[in-house]
Amino acid sequence: MSSQDNDQLTDHEYDGIREYDNPLPNWWLMTFFGTVIFAFIYWLHYEVGGGPSLKAELNQAMLALQAHKQQAVVKELSEADLETMLKDPQMAAAGALAFTGKCAACHGPELQGGIGPNLTDAFWLHGKGTREDIMHTIQKGVPDKGMPPWESMLSQNEILSLTALIVSKQDTNPAGAKPPQGEKVR
Amino acid sequence: MNPQGTQTITFDDKIVRYFLLAMIFWAAAALSAGLLAALQLAYWPLNMNLEWITFGRLRPLHTNAAIFAFAGNAIFAGIYHSSQRLLKARMFNDILSKLHFWGWQAIILAAAITLPLGYSQAKEYAELEWPLDIAITVVWVIFAVNFFGTIARRRERHLYVALWFYIATIVTVAVLHIVNSIEIPVSLTQSYPVWVGIQDALIQWWYGHNAVAFFLTTPFLGLMYYYVPKAANRPVYSYRLSIIHFWALVFIYIWAGPHHLLYTSMPDWAQTVGMVFSIMLWAPSWGGMINGLLTLRGAWHLLRTEPVIKFFVAAITFYGMATFEGPLLSIKSVSALGHYTDWIVGHVHGGALGWNGMLSFGMAYFLVPQLWKTDRLSKKWMEWHFWLALLGVILYYVSMVSAGITQGLMWQALNPEGKLVYPDFVETVMRIVPLYWVRAFAGLLYLSGFVLMVVNIVRAIRHQPVQDGTIQVAATVSRSPNEDAGHRRLEGLATIFTVLTLIAVAVASMISIFPILNLKQYVSYEKTVEPWSPLELAGRDIYVKEGCYVCHSQQIRQLPFDVLRFGAASTIEESMWDRPFQWGSKRTGPDLARVGKKYPHLWHYRHMIDPRAVTEKSIMPAYPWLVAKDTDFIGLRKKLSVLKSLGTPYPDDTVANADIVAQKEAAVIARELEAQGAPQGLEKKEIVALIAYLQALGQKATPNAGERP
Repeated sequence: MSSQDNDQLTDHEYDGIREYDNPLPNWWLMTFFGTVIFAFIYWLHYEVGGGPSLKAELNQAMLALQAHKQQAVVKELSEADLETMLKDPQMAAAGALAFTGKCAACHGPELQGGIGPNLTDAFWLHGKGTREDIMHTIQKGVPDKGMPPWESMLSQNEILSLTALIVSKQDTNPAGAKPPQGEKVR
Repeated sequence: MNPQGTQTITFDDKIVRYFLLAMIFWAAAALSAGLLAALQLAYWPLNMNLEWITFGRLRPLHTNAAIFAFAGNAIFAGIYHSSQRLLKARMFNDILSKLHFWGWQAIILAAAITLPLGYSQAKEYAELEWPLDIAITVVWVIFAVNFFGTIARRRERHLYVALWFYIATIVTVAVLHIVNSIEIPVSLTQSYPVWVGIQDALIQWWYGHNAVAFFLTTPFLGLMYYYVPKAANRPVYSYRLSIIHFWALVFIYIWAGPHHLLYTSMPDWAQTVGMVFSIMLWAPSWGGMINGLLTLRGAWHLLRTEPVIKFFVAAITFYGMATFEGPLLSIKSVSALGHYTDWIVGHVHGGALGWNGMLSFGMAYFLVPQLWKTDRLSKKWMEWHFWLALLGVILYYVSMVSAGITQGLMWQALNPEGKLVYPDFVETVMRIVPLYWVRAFAGLLYLSGFVLMVVNIVRAIRHQPVQDGTIQVAATVSRSPNEDAGHRRLEGLATIFTVLTLIAVAVASMISIFPILNLKQYVSYEKTVEPWSPLELAGRDIYVKEGCYVCHSQQIRQLPFDVLRFGAASTIEESMWDRPFQWGSKRTGPDLARVGKKYPHLWHYRHMIDPRAVTEKSIMPAYPWLVAKDTDFIGLRKKLSVLKSLGTPYPDDTVANADIVAQKEAAVIARELEAQGAPQGLEKKEIVALIAYLQALGQKATPNAGERP
């Protein structure tokens, strides 16, 4: 109780409320001055001193990611490479899992088609239904028709396994199949 | 009988009782709407397929009720009660007081009807349409005249610090509301803002941020400066601190708005200004907390016995937490993590439930035994209310900050290949749904405490007579400022004090807004951005009406993980025809800035009728009425002509034939939908207009061969 007994009361009184005339706490003042100094230096650096713009920072980060990606990128796979790689039945099983999560909403759970085309028949809209074509369509999508590009969303392995699944489902004639679209290739 | 030379003044405490009861009434509405909204996020079927209470319309109802109805009536109750005593004068005019009260309640009632009907400007905390904007202005002016009239008639030479904060509130809210609401009506229920694109974004967040500052902070600081020393019966800690932190707060707060827009396409300088002023705001805000808490030195024992003091201490502590967290969240790299997430939701509820709520409840408990002849308030119930409320706020805050940081980190996570670890947005939503349940439970705790308060107060005042305060004053009081010097002298000069406050906020506002008024200097002419076509505009107005901005942003930030997820960062040009801008502030669902042409029409058709049909785990409400309702084609002529008058370059014949152009567009989309497997005859339906708009998002810019005009 002693500390505030020494505090100086002002002569102010409003509806019984009195006011002390205590000094501003030092730590509070230091915090205030500190933030003002920081603010000034920050502003000086970015707005006067030529600090990087947000756009420049983004470009740099994207370049770094690109470089990263190029290191990790798999070489372009040919139809023959794919044929050997996709023989493993495990691949198609893994593809089925990815398909249910990402593709079934538009292509139907049995690949029979829906919003998107039937993937089990002999008719193809984009390419000739080769493994290379299928993989390419998954990677790059067909944005005009509403097929999103999946290469940023799915790993190389997932795209391979999806390709394996689609190849394995050819001519399965699922129930409720969507009528053929595109060119007959077989 | 009065002693010689004195007179007795009876305060108008009836109006205080009115505002206090209105506060309690609307708090019930605001808290219930909040609880339902929280439950809808945890369990989407609670949207109940009813357009009026679907989340996109309910959330604005909740925020408007909490801010303007609950907090608003609390402020008015406190200001009318404390000002009369601090000024030793009855309110200037009883009729103005009544007009203020009933006018404000009528506006709230109108809001409670129009927001569920979808009449919204889709600008956060400024959703109400133009007739209500005008009504708010009128009622606010009535309040101002009444308040300043009372100041003019005061029998106290100096203005106490609480009144400084009230003055700052009245002056600044008027400026904010008027500037942000400059709009051109299209019909009785719709208008387009004069501000466009980044202007609209900057001015809206200048408003939005300072609505928090001057509607939820300064008036409540004023209430704190009156009710805390009153309830504790202790002098205020430091008069000098009051002066410094008041002026610092008033001057600095107004600049900080752009911290809501970090990494967006807002020009860098505005973002830097927003960030550095937010950081400088930390100490001035804490000045208020220090003065509040240290006023209780020597009275801490009351914390054990007086629930009112408990509420006040908790309120001030939450104020301190929220005003530390605010500057923290304004640091660009922290904003990169926290923006668009539930961290922000946690932050604002720490302020709203902790600071505004607790202070209002404490004030109500303090006022009831003064305004009614009653000693029947149960302290035990107050204790229960306090602990339920405290537990509710803490649980709310912890759950939402955890949800926000979790989701923010998931959005950022990249694998060694440089790809997103969680590319599926819905996966990041699923992870935090359990926390949405925790949050809803927290809300229930807070609401339960409030119910105890209602019962407690009703029991205390029922059948009890009211009482109005009186005071004996000298018949004549010297108000000559000449005996004072420095700030003390200013405290006796109410008009000059008010003008200085106005200058402080106006100068800061003008410096931070003026550069953006000349939009041309920011627009690059490398690309031409087409205005929305008539049908797209019709769809956009549906997007606005349904409150899609509440959960979906349209602003891809200049951050690598945003770009990887949603595509190239949004540009200034892409929103250059947007009235209102629709950047959003929260991503409960994914960003939509570049959703155009990502999916076929049929995907959108099925998604709007039942989001689960295409995204199994989606928590989005269904919008089946879009398939049943007809698009307002004929109204498009008026809409386009208003937009053209504001500067959108529509050719004259497009304006004159807007409805026909739109119908042709609709027929094309309806045919495409039908070819993809949708039913026939959709061309007149709202769903087609909305699909037209969604498919155009991010698709309007084309490289420009021409010269800079």
